[in-house]
Amino acid sequence: MSPIQVQTEALSKSFGSVRAVESLDLAVEQGEFLTILGPSGCGKTTLLRLIGGFEEPNEGRVFIAGKDVTFVPPHRRPANMVFQRYALFPHLTVAENVGFSLRLRKVHETEIRTRVERMLDLVQLPGFSGRRTHQLSGGQAQRVALARALINEPEVLLLDEPLGALDLKIRQQMQIELKLLHAQLGMTFIYVTHDQEEAMSISDRIVVMNDGRIAQEGSPREIYANPASTYVADFVGHSNLLAARVSGVGPLRVTIMGNEFPVRSREGLHVGQDVSILIRPEALLIASGEATGEGNTLSGEVVDATFKGAFVHYLVRVDKSQLKVQQPIHEGTPTFARGEKVNLAFGSDDVLVLVD
Amino acid sequence: MAASRALGRHPIRIPWLGIYFGLVILYLFFPIAIIALFSFNSSPAISFPIRGFSLRWYREILVSPVFLSALKNSLIVAVVTTAICVFVGTLAALGLTRYNFRFKPLVQSIYVLPVTLPGLLLGLSLLSFFVFLGLKLSLGTVVIGHLVYTLPYFVLVATARLERFDRMLEEAAQDLGCTPWQTFWKVDFPIIAPSIIGAAVIVFALSFDEFLITFFVIGTQSTLPMLVWSMMRMSIDPRVNAISVVLMVASMVLIYVLSKLVDLREIEL
Repeated sequence: MSPIQVQTEALSKSFGSVRAVESLDLAVEQGEFLTILGPSGCGKTTLLRLIGGFEEPNEGRVFIAGKDVTFVPPHRRPANMVFQRYALFPHLTVAENVGFSLRLRKVHETEIRTRVERMLDLVQLPGFSGRRTHQLSGGQAQRVALARALINEPEVLLLDEPLGALDLKIRQQMQIELKLLHAQLGMTFIYVTHDQEEAMSISDRIVVMNDGRIAQEGSPREIYANPASTYVADFVGHSNLLAARVSGVGPLRVTIMGNEFPVRSREGLHVGQDVSILIRPEALLIASGEATGEGNTLSGEVVDATFKGAFVHYLVRVDKSQLKVQQPIHEGTPTFARGEKVNLAFGSDDVLVLVD
Repeated sequence: MAASRALGRHPIRIPWLGIYFGLVILYLFFPIAIIALFSFNSSPAISFPIRGFSLRWYREILVSPVFLSALKNSLIVAVVTTAICVFVGTLAALGLTRYNFRFKPLVQSIYVLPVTLPGLLLGLSLLSFFVFLGLKLSLGTVVIGHLVYTLPYFVLVATARLERFDRMLEEAAQDLGCTPWQTFWKVDFPIIAPSIIGAAVIVFALSFDEFLITFFVIGTQSTLPMLVWSMMRMSIDPRVNAISVVLMVASMVLIYVLSKLVDLREIEL
């Protein structure tokens, strides 16, 4: 395990009566790509701004590289920020924007020039030095902002929804570039986003936030496979969440819509307890006809089918609920149309019991 | 319509918009053209027909010590007023846009109040104020009077620009290592400078030809508007035409130089 690079201790921040961040403990390892994920208003941006020094906490401390920086202003923190709306200086050229911090520190002009060129090469904008910022596309502007933040070689790079304003295609391309850049530079990245797919595809570790607190933290795979609550399950990935009741413990069994199924085992439950169960759409195998009663199956009727290329997404009505189903398709895979009777089969280990 | 066009008949269309536009232009510029024309008239009578071309009136004003001293006074007052206005006004605008404090709405309305006051009232009350204080009337009191009058305009323009300023740029500057002081000089100031310069030119122009307030608080000296007024009291003095043309050309040169210094489109008033 690498040493801790950024740490917060019981950090709290309120705006008026709104508690944006509440007694939050976070530890980020050196060289880690950590993503803070959550819907708007969950406090993720406030947390990032507290780490960057743009807000002062009401309570708690912030440490960067072991030093208490809680009340250190942004210009004296070893962290640089990439802002959501780029925040490029409109009165300066691309090269002047990128070289801004070096010029402040009175670095020699020839060195500034070579380092700016190197940075622009790194973010794949060679030859853009002389451009004005208003001549740049969104993707280019964000690369310049990235180069400007990286030229200082900060210990920590803070990214506040940096791709939020970009088209899907450019966003996906930038995600890959960010990941490669992170691997190449080895510095700590703390990334804020509300886009769970983005969080899954770029991060070493994800912190899911809800109402100013950490709802869950872990690797993308852990969080996807073992969400700690219905909130996390619902927010990360597509999910089917159903009300259920525990009908047997050891082995664990639950009743869902009148049918009893064995499910993935879990401690601390008692018979008769109301719970939620999670089944991911890709865990449901769709086939034609009624449920046979063998294994774990549910009968239903196709309400909607959407072709997605490699997959078909179905909405299947089972009893009073609608379940999302993802069917991978290959040459010759039978697909189903609206109104067709189908049955959905699933493994017991794919049913996760959640208690909120 | 379609039918008549198909038959090849062209209804006569009266270009009302063109006529209207022509009248507006005439109304705006004809008096100025007349003044320019008569400034070159060799006869002192301001009536047609023009007797002959002459630079007599220009020669007379340029050697007149009264004119030259009035011009100098006007320039001094306008320059000093503008300088103080830019300094105080920018700080005021920053305070009004960046900070919340008690009575802020009150302060905001007090700042723009002089705009709504008649110049006559302003001049009169300033005069009694200076007399009350026992202040000797001079160009200094004129500058004070002009500041009361011009500062609201400046503050209005500067706050309008600062309200639209993206504060994230300041955060980016601090993030990259700027102290608050450096942030102002390296980011805020260069970005708002075109608006500040634009507002400063307006202030300069307002101060340069201000008459009402000046009339009350100037004492024994004279500025150009005062001089023109005194020349016009008894009869129409043809030298006034020459002075007007000189002032007009000067302000056009000022605008031209300004447009070379900053992109006029960047001035967001």
